[in-house]
Amino acid sequence: MRRTLPLAICLIMGIVMMVQFFVPHPISVGFYDLTTKWIRIVSAFALVLGVGSLILYHIDRLQRKRPGWAYSIVTLIALVGTAITGLGWGVKPGAPLQEIIFKNILVPLNASMFAILAFYMASAAYRAFRARTKEAALLLIAAFLVMLGMVPVGAAIWGKLPDVAEWILSVPNMAAKRAILFGVALGAIATSLKVILGIERGWLGGGK
Amino acid sequence: MHISTDIWTWVAVILTFGIFSFLWKDNPFYKFCEHLFVGVSVGYTIALTWYNSVYPDLITPLFRQGKPLYVIPFLLGLCYFFRFIPKASWLVRIPMGFVLGWASGVAIPAFFQTNVIKQIQGTLLSPALFARWDVFLWALISFIGVICSVLYFFFSREHKGALKVAAETGIVFLMIGFGASFGYTVMARMSLLIGRFQFLLRDWLGVIR
Amino acid sequence: MGFWERLLKIDRKIIFIVMAVLVLFPLLKPLGLGVGSGPRAKAVFDAVDSIPPGKTLLISVDFDPASMPELYPMLVALMRHAFARDVRVLLCGLWITGAGLADKAVTEIAPEYGKEYGRDVVYLGWKAGVDAVILGMGENIKNVFSVDYYGHPLDSLPMMQEVTRLRDIPFMVAISAGTPGFSDWLLYGHSRYGLRVGAGVTAVSAADAYPYLQTGQLTGLLAGMKGAAEYEVLVQRHNYSKAYMPAVAAMDSQSLAHIVILVLVVIGNIAFFVTRKRGR
Repeated sequence: MRRTLPLAICLIMGIVMMVQFFVPHPISVGFYDLTTKWIRIVSAFALVLGVGSLILYHIDRLQRKRPGWAYSIVTLIALVGTAITGLGWGVKPGAPLQEIIFKNILVPLNASMFAILAFYMASAAYRAFRARTKEAALLLIAAFLVMLGMVPVGAAIWGKLPDVAEWILSVPNMAAKRAILFGVALGAIATSLKVILGIERGWLGGGK
Repeated sequence: MHISTDIWTWVAVILTFGIFSFLWKDNPFYKFCEHLFVGVSVGYTIALTWYNSVYPDLITPLFRQGKPLYVIPFLLGLCYFFRFIPKASWLVRIPMGFVLGWASGVAIPAFFQTNVIKQIQGTLLSPALFARWDVFLWALISFIGVICSVLYFFFSREHKGALKVAAETGIVFLMIGFGASFGYTVMARMSLLIGRFQFLLRDWLGVIR
Repeated sequence: MGFWERLLKIDRKIIFIVMAVLVLFPLLKPLGLGVGSGPRAKAVFDAVDSIPPGKTLLISVDFDPASMPELYPMLVALMRHAFARDVRVLLCGLWITGAGLADKAVTEIAPEYGKEYGRDVVYLGWKAGVDAVILGMGENIKNVFSVDYYGHPLDSLPMMQEVTRLRDIPFMVAISAGTPGFSDWLLYGHSRYGLRVGAGVTAVSAADAYPYLQTGQLTGLLAGMKGAAEYEVLVQRHNYSKAYMPAVAAMDSQSLAHIVILVLVVIGNIAFFVTRKRGR
């Protein structure tokens, strides 16, 4: 029951949704329309898993006084404070959630977090980007040509450089990315089939 | 130079420097900002999910418009809460089965059509390509590149003989592809840094437009 | 320790400082290198240009503040282009933290062209369930978004009387920072409902979009800050806008930053091979 019921629901939903793609009958379309609405609702509830796990992790860290436990207070206060502000005063433009928290806290933190990667990439390029083998040399040359071809200074050095970069992207790069895409697509289709047929059961987790 | 007098701009600047301080070394100020970021993002997500999804899509139709059918997704959604009650935690598998089955069923035809059939069509050498020599040549190189790159990932047989030649040709294409990705990645990372500097120079110091 | 060994062990903070200075300098003193326009950006421009006035351009804002410097200028330039041609703009988003960004664009750009909310522009907001959102919009947009981002019922907005599902939209641009993004619009919007899709992407994922461009599944591509700058230039060249071009302004910094990376890689390789040769 504990495993069979979820597997049966998965199997039925998977097969029905696959079949309905090819059957434009009103009943099929109606069912598809209805379940599409349901999925959006159920997907929203999935947030419970992430939020619950995060809260439990930080409470546990606090209780056991693990290293850096004081920072867990920051996360928990920020989480509860932001959620209460949003739920209490709404999320529309002009509300404190958007005007204060989003614009002045979330945006700078999020943007800065990724901006510092530029420095690490420069450092890593200096220390690790080596033409040790002919394959690595090939990667390096392609990277050089694309990098230069993409910025105005590249065109200033040689007018044809943007065209060379575009050719690399459109021909050899496209071929390589398409091969990877085939692998990803076939993998996704195979995994989806395995999930539907109950061969892949990792999502059930441990226990009975 | 018109330094901002808005207190919230200053808060944003301080938080920006808090994150940038990691460049010097890991420090309490950075850790504070990092944990603040996690908490605020999750809190923001909760509020938006409630007002943009749960309230209009479930609460309104079920409780305000009295549409009884919505009790099914409501119950399925509630099952997620059982994840944290050990004795009933298996109930979380029900909504997961529903969502996974639905998404897998929808994904199979879509993936097949978009990422397999269309991509095969794009790889094939059609008669129209023979009209111009350069178009044909690039299409031929692409064709060889796709086949060889796919063969490189074929590990069911040892790479020797013709397969070895094909796989080695495939590596050439893959390396050029990765190089192209790296070339673009530099631009992506620099853009984010430029964006932050623009904020500091424009919104905070007021020295640029 | 010789010169090259010392060079290899240089403190990374020196690299950081060099990088920061060279990125900052052109922002304060522009070099004026100029930006051309590539064929991929032109394809998006032409597709938007071919939408008849009164019809709707859909823009999906699938990014968060982290990717704002690259992608927000695309959003603004696309909206200016559409408004200048009296094309209506419908916005939605698949990234929860991007919800506020689209609102910023709606509030700032629509008044520039005297456009009225509800008649010329509508922002639907964000919803959970990526594939279900796109598939739902394919059947009936009102089934997915009963109210817009600001809480107005869709029935009360004149523009939404004519745009009821994806098939009513001649062209869309998915401005995406990753997944969910343009690939989901292709998977569910293009393949099932024949939606014509163009993409604006972060430079990181630009190279991955090329297989879709070759097949024609993607109509055009704005790749990173360069794509944004190219679009800004195209919009100004056709006199659709005279506004400040933030992506174009940032391209000088990009040029110097790219040169720095290239020089660093070259020096790093020379130092590596010289020291390795000596080691032997």
